[in-house]
Amino acid sequence: MNVVRVLLVAVGVAVAGYGAVLLWDNSSTVLVRIIAWAAVGVVVHDFVFAPLCAAVGLAGRTLIPVRWRAPAAVAALCSVVLVLLAIPVYSKPGARPDNPTVLDRDYAVGLWIAIAAVWICVPLYYLLASRLPVRQDQVVHGERADDVERQPPSV
Amino acid sequence: MTTSLRGTAVTARVGAALGVAVAVCFLTGLISHFIQHPQPWFWWPTRPVWLYRLTQGLHVTSGIAAIPLLVVKLWSVWPKLFERPLFGGVVRQVERLSILVLVASMLFQLSTGLLNIAQWYAFEFFFTTAHYAISYVAIGAVLVHIAVKLPVIRRALSDPVEDVAQGGVVGPTRRTVLRGTWLAVAVATLVTAGQTVPLLRWVSVLAPRTGEGPQGVPVNRSALAAGVVRSARSPDYRLTVTFGARTRAFTLADLEAMPQTTHRLPIACVEGWSASAEWTGVVLADLIAVVGASADSDVRMISLEPPGPYSRTTLPARHTRDDMTLIALKINGATLNLDHGYPCRLIAPTRPGVLQTKWLSRIEVI
Repeated sequence: MNVVRVLLVAVGVAVAGYGAVLLWDNSSTVLVRIIAWAAVGVVVHDFVFAPLCAAVGLAGRTLIPVRWRAPAAVAALCSVVLVLLAIPVYSKPGARPDNPTVLDRDYAVGLWIAIAAVWICVPLYYLLASRLPVRQDQVVHGERADDVERQPPSV
Repeated sequence: MTTSLRGTAVTARVGAALGVAVAVCFLTGLISHFIQHPQPWFWWPTRPVWLYRLTQGLHVTSGIAAIPLLVVKLWSVWPKLFERPLFGGVVRQVERLSILVLVASMLFQLSTGLLNIAQWYAFEFFFTTAHYAISYVAIGAVLVHIAVKLPVIRRALSDPVEDVAQGGVVGPTRRTVLRGTWLAVAVATLVTAGQTVPLLRWVSVLAPRTGEGPQGVPVNRSALAAGVVRSARSPDYRLTVTFGARTRAFTLADLEAMPQTTHRLPIACVEGWSASAEWTGVVLADLIAVVGASADSDVRMISLEPPGPYSRTTLPARHTRDDMTLIALKINGATLNLDHGYPCRLIAPTRPGVLQTKWLSRIEVI
């Protein structure tokens, strides 16, 4: 296994090094722009996007009833992905008047319909999940140490 | 009360899926690169005719699928960013640096790729060369990362997803995270893949193309953008075919008078959209036979378009001798639209759209 790991590192460093050599062909101005794009990506993810998601998650945990949290979290993830994919098309920044076959949809409407479709699934899931037979281990999973069943009526 | 949703069980599973997506994306990207920059050792078949449609469709689809996978993977390890000590010893610094390279190159590839398919050139560098170079950096960083994490990955994949004594209430679990991730991948694919899978067109609300266009086919570069509106319509238009010292100039009527062949071939763009159409025209091998050239020759296709990166392309002999390779005059039964390459264009199987030279002015047998 260690041989495999050493080999992987060696190949990985060589391949990445080849990429660096290819990059080196660019002028220093272009190289700076490429590195800046990559660096901005990391900073935006680590210090804007991720904290925002964490904040939304924390807010959801305090505001949303526990049984709704799982479907809401999945819907939130799908919404985030839809928004990310919509960024380059939403206001059609790449559209050009000479070619109407690019960006030829109403992306604003499309995005909102997609997000609505995702969130409609949340109550649907809730309804469906509450109607499906519940397995015993799920019930046990859902119980806390202080859960006490109501006592049967005394005869 | 609640156990953490994050954990190596989630990271390793989502990471494995991301690894598959990235591998598919890298390999299909390499294929596209080597078709456009042929190497002596590279061999690209002409059948099945939809092969490039498939590989490039996979390239863009796997790249888009990697977006939710990367989002969840980074979410699952984000707190490690702030673990103490922040810098630590040399080993820790090297590991952190390798992860910085990995994350930066992955974000670079996915963001530039996504912008490029929407033709939004917000970055001020040439897309193809930068995307190509960084792909090696990314895949190299992935290999190093797998090597470093291999024992952790193996342990995490064989362990159960949930902690054994979970307790707690019925809220999201790690299983929820995993199922949600696969669902997000499905959603991302559905809302974009319609630009290459016609069946999905109606749900692909975020695809940069509907797949519609003049004569049922989208356009990537218009006649106006190429600056050929006047020259393509000129009554003096000739298609010149040369082989050594032998030259022959064809008018559009000459080409129309030659035997016409119709084939159903896809046009597949490097940007990931594709569409199938009926193309009618002269078989290229027949056309170059007029100047006495063998079909086993590389052929240079030169456009009316002023010199630029794609105004001339070289068709390898394997495609020249293929009887489905046409100099097309018609599309879906009608004369080519100006934006589709009127008076005539190349259409060959398994070629990227960008190499299907439009507005042909000259064909040189090499």
